[in-house]
Amino acid sequence: MFNEFHYQVRGRGHELDGTRGQDRTAYLSGRGIQVLCLADGAGSASQSEFGAQAVVEEGCALLIEQFGQFDTSADAEQARQEILERLHERLAGVGRRLGCTFADLASTFLAVAVSAERFVVVHIGDGVIGYVKNGELRVVSAPDNAEFANQTTFVTSPDAASSTRLFRGATEGVSGFILMSDGTSASLFDNRSKTLAPACAKLIEAVAVAPTRQVKSPEHKKRLRRVVDTRLREATKDDCSIGILARRS
Amino acid sequence: MALAIGADDLIENPTPRVPVILCLDTSGSMMGDKIRELVRGVNLFYDAIDEDDDAHDAAEVSIVKFNSEASLIQDFSSVERLQRRDAIDATGGTALGEGVNLALDTLEKRKSVYSGAGVLYYQPWLVLMTDGQPNGSAVELERAVQRVTDLVAQKKLTVFPIGIGTDADMDVLAKFSPNRPPLRLRGLSFKEFFEWLSKSVSRVSRSTPGDTVKPDLEGLAGWAEL
Repeated sequence: MFNEFHYQVRGRGHELDGTRGQDRTAYLSGRGIQVLCLADGAGSASQSEFGAQAVVEEGCALLIEQFGQFDTSADAEQARQEILERLHERLAGVGRRLGCTFADLASTFLAVAVSAERFVVVHIGDGVIGYVKNGELRVVSAPDNAEFANQTTFVTSPDAASSTRLFRGATEGVSGFILMSDGTSASLFDNRSKTLAPACAKLIEAVAVAPTRQVKSPEHKKRLRRVVDTRLREATKDDCSIGILARRS
Repeated sequence: MALAIGADDLIENPTPRVPVILCLDTSGSMMGDKIRELVRGVNLFYDAIDEDDDAHDAAEVSIVKFNSEASLIQDFSSVERLQRRDAIDATGGTALGEGVNLALDTLEKRKSVYSGAGVLYYQPWLVLMTDGQPNGSAVELERAVQRVTDLVAQKKLTVFPIGIGTDADMDVLAKFSPNRPPLRLRGLSFKEFFEWLSKSVSRVSRSTPGDTVKPDLEGLAGWAEL
């Protein structure tokens, strides 16, 4: 079993101009699968926080339902299509409800799903997904930024299918995964060396050793949120979101 | 117990850069008030960037001047290292094509430096200012137009061709800007133009993925004749 932690905080830029935060995270477990999803709504899209919320919810449900297929299927192209069709379908419903266009709901999408023995990773756009394997911190999927800093691929982009990155593997030796939006990656990912900050391993470890008994507001989550609210948020004007799945120690 | 995350555990990435290259006509016809106001405007541009929290860390400015030949008088630098100028000599012809080609070469080199160092950057801006008709090499001019329009078509460059005074060849400037007509500076309102430019650079430096930063056309009314 993996412990989970996920959190998003509105960036200083949005706070200054009085706009809503656009990062969203979600966690779901069922059928022996645990899923963590994260999405960063596009700055230019007027309702992107609703799009981000929709894709993290739908992504969690989809990965629980289709984990076995994604883990074993030889046809990656079909998996990409299936993921996007499902996310697009959900976004179309949100668009009808809000009376907005598909593009108004643009966001990135990052997901990690784990079973007892296997994992599946899905990544569209920027942000970073990393993991600790055999004690070593590694990048699973780096940001997709095209040439310029303010360009990336979104779930709603015409080239989303070809830009969807899929990874899968055995969880043996894996002690945890970390997902982050581009705001968070400002202090947890080195753009020059394409490596993760040492803090990632500490954060994963903090989630791994957390007590498993149910309490309303666990102390370890308060401490983790404090790190995001202060250290990570101060390094950027963008929203910060993070998701961690850490194998219970 | 607090989670012990020290400074060494975190990364301090360089601020993504906004490269701005000014390609300025310093031919003989610019002599007098025009070149004085232009130099004053450039210095004000530096000051405005210096005072803006976002632009200060992001903007990198370079200057190419062209008269009978083209030369790089300011390589890309952050605002702290930009050299304020007292004057620029205005003399000779108007080798506009040579100037633009040198500006684009300088830009390509800078982009290579960014990429090699893992520094993210935004779409570069080229500001082209002239008060006359080009009289350098026709081949160089044609090559410059082609390079700029290709980059603009690929969304790899934002270009602002600006005519100074009534003698500026707006038809030639229009060739550099397929998507937007060139603008003619109202009188010698360089100050207003460079204030507008610094604000625009600041907007770009605050943008995040998905943001489409279009030129603030309302702001243009403050300095240009449309």
